[in-house]
Amino acid sequence: MLSDCKGATATITEDHFRKIREAMDQALLPQWVLTDPEIYALEHEKIFPRTWQFLAHESELKNPGDFVTRWMVDDPVLLVKGEDGVIRAFLNSCTHRGTYLCAADSGNRRTFTCPYHGWTFNWHGDLVGVALGNTLYGAELDRSAMGLRPLPRLESVYGMIFGNLDPHAMSLREYLGDMLWYFEILLKRTAEGMEVIGVPHRWVVEANWKLTYENFTGDPYHVQSTHRSTVELGITPHRAGEDGRMGHQIVLTHGHGVNITQLTYVPPHPYQHTPESLWPLFEQSLSPVQARLLKHASVLVGGVFPTLSFVSPQHGTEGEVFNYLNFRVWRPLGPYKVEIWSWCLIDKEAPSDYKQQAYRAYVGSFGPSGTLEQDDTEMWSRVVQASRGHMVRNKNLAYNNFANYLMGYGRVEPDPTFPGPGQAYPGFVDAVSRSIHQYWFELLTADNAAEVMSHEL
Amino acid sequence: MNYELQLDITRFLYCEAQLLDHHQYLEWLDLLSKDLRYRVPVRVTRERKEGSDVVYEMTYFDETYASLERRVRRLYVKSAWVADPPPRQHHLVTNILVEPGDTPDTCRASSVVLVLRSRGSVEELDRIVGEREDTFRREEGQWKLLSRDVRVDEAVLHAINLSMFL
Ligand code: FES
Ligand SMILES: [Fe+2]
Repeated sequence: MLSDCKGATATITEDHFRKIREAMDQALLPQWVLTDPEIYALEHEKIFPRTWQFLAHESELKNPGDFVTRWMVDDPVLLVKGEDGVIRAFLNSCTHRGTYLCAADSGNRRTFTCPYHGWTFNWHGDLVGVALGNTLYGAELDRSAMGLRPLPRLESVYGMIFGNLDPHAMSLREYLGDMLWYFEILLKRTAEGMEVIGVPHRWVVEANWKLTYENFTGDPYHVQSTHRSTVELGITPHRAGEDGRMGHQIVLTHGHGVNITQLTYVPPHPYQHTPESLWPLFEQSLSPVQARLLKHASVLVGGVFPTLSFVSPQHGTEGEVFNYLNFRVWRPLGPYKVEIWSWCLIDKEAPSDYKQQAYRAYVGSFGPSGTLEQDDTEMWSRVVQASRGHMVRNKNLAYNNFANYLMGYGRVEPDPTFPGPGQAYPGFVDAVSRSIHQYWFELLTADNAAEVMSHEL
Repeated sequence: MNYELQLDITRFLYCEAQLLDHHQYLEWLDLLSKDLRYRVPVRVTRERKEGSDVVYEMTYFDETYASLERRVRRLYVKSAWVADPPPRQHHLVTNILVEPGDTPDTCRASSVVLVLRSRGSVEELDRIVGEREDTFRREEGQWKLLSRDVRVDEAVLHAINLSMFL
């Protein structure tokens, strides 16, 4: 299996993979896999170029010529809106000698000219200008073959644009599966939907992408300890009789997951403390089952494997709490580093003073200065700090070097009365984390070398 | 130039930096006006023709006195893990230029701040550098910070979080 891999996997053997598998069968995960450089190289080869990655929200590109530049792990991506309203995505690199083409984070341009030798591309990626082209080039230059290289796949749902480097990947909708139903609650709950406020926060933290993804997607357990201070200060609401365990963890396909904490009664501020003017819109756009879930929900939090997470909470640093939707990409920069991209989205139809308050609530809770994020980043950093040593890194697992995901294992069964799709476990369990590991392992060990070759990738 | 004002405000900024460096956040709050507006806008990489590269629609801080006070009080809570064990940090304040305001009881100052923070035994320092635009108002004989805008240089921050203030 491993001899087929292009990456250098010099020391990981079949036996080590067998041991990972056996550990996972007991709801354990060998700790060495978290930050091992060879595993990281394998993830680069087998996971990131074959899975759907979030790039942008459609509200970030309003007019023809609007562009944003993004990263799909290490690949620079240029997204630009055409006169036809279509958003296209290209490798942000000149086809002449590979210069990073558009150096701005966002803006509006008629064309993109590479400063190195002066080649120019339009909104469709066509090569429309070659400096001194008529005097220097003849038939040897086929301009039609020198357009910007499009991402092999670009698809979107409910305003969320995703790319995939694998031309043969399953469709985005098939990949998301039942996550679509939960995306509707988050993104399609009014006719106009959500809009991005300003620009994403970006910062580099000491962390591994698997842990940050798992933290949002499958770990509501950490909230009572990591974020206790925000409950004490009223930044995170706590209502009488409310308990984070009142809710469900929903295991979805392909390593995706959602957690919904809910109250058994209709909260005094239903629909997550959103403004009352939005409630009838929710009831119009959502199915009665979806609307009911949202009405009772405290927090919705989850993720789309491998690098997208989201949370729709209620927070505030001035006594009152507000609802916003936070999407974030964990861009891996190495086994120990993640660049976080964090977007704040708010219902387009919300009153403008509510939008202002909700944006401030986001800044006070998530993003680099967020009172919840501060302690999250501290924890993720501490895990990485303790993951470099001989004991943790021992691949023969001689030091009991496992992280455990035992909660509810073999004991808590899915709740058949939960009205949404997926396997919904009641209360706190590690079911989503275990399913993330399964999918991660499946992709990592898939024998796709021959297939990769046939795509000439 | 008003030497006394320049000296007063410079001393204010140095004392403020020392309070922040020593994690004396409650004492720091005493330097702030109750009408404070405190903002740290996001900075982006943008072509010159697009105009300003400072984005006020999204910020790292967009605070009032009340929200800052709550952030401060959190840092004293036992479970504010980011603050205990405390990181070591310094605010280096320099390039201070003070101008009188429109009324005798106000003034404004620009300065450059470099914040360095060391956590645990982590090798790399967290670092933030930016330019402050402050306004001050005299309240009951004392200068108070009335507004602060900090324009950080980085579009991608290299600090794992901003548990400190700028
Ligand atoms: S590298 Fe872009 S024009 Fe030569
Ligand atoms: Fe958290």
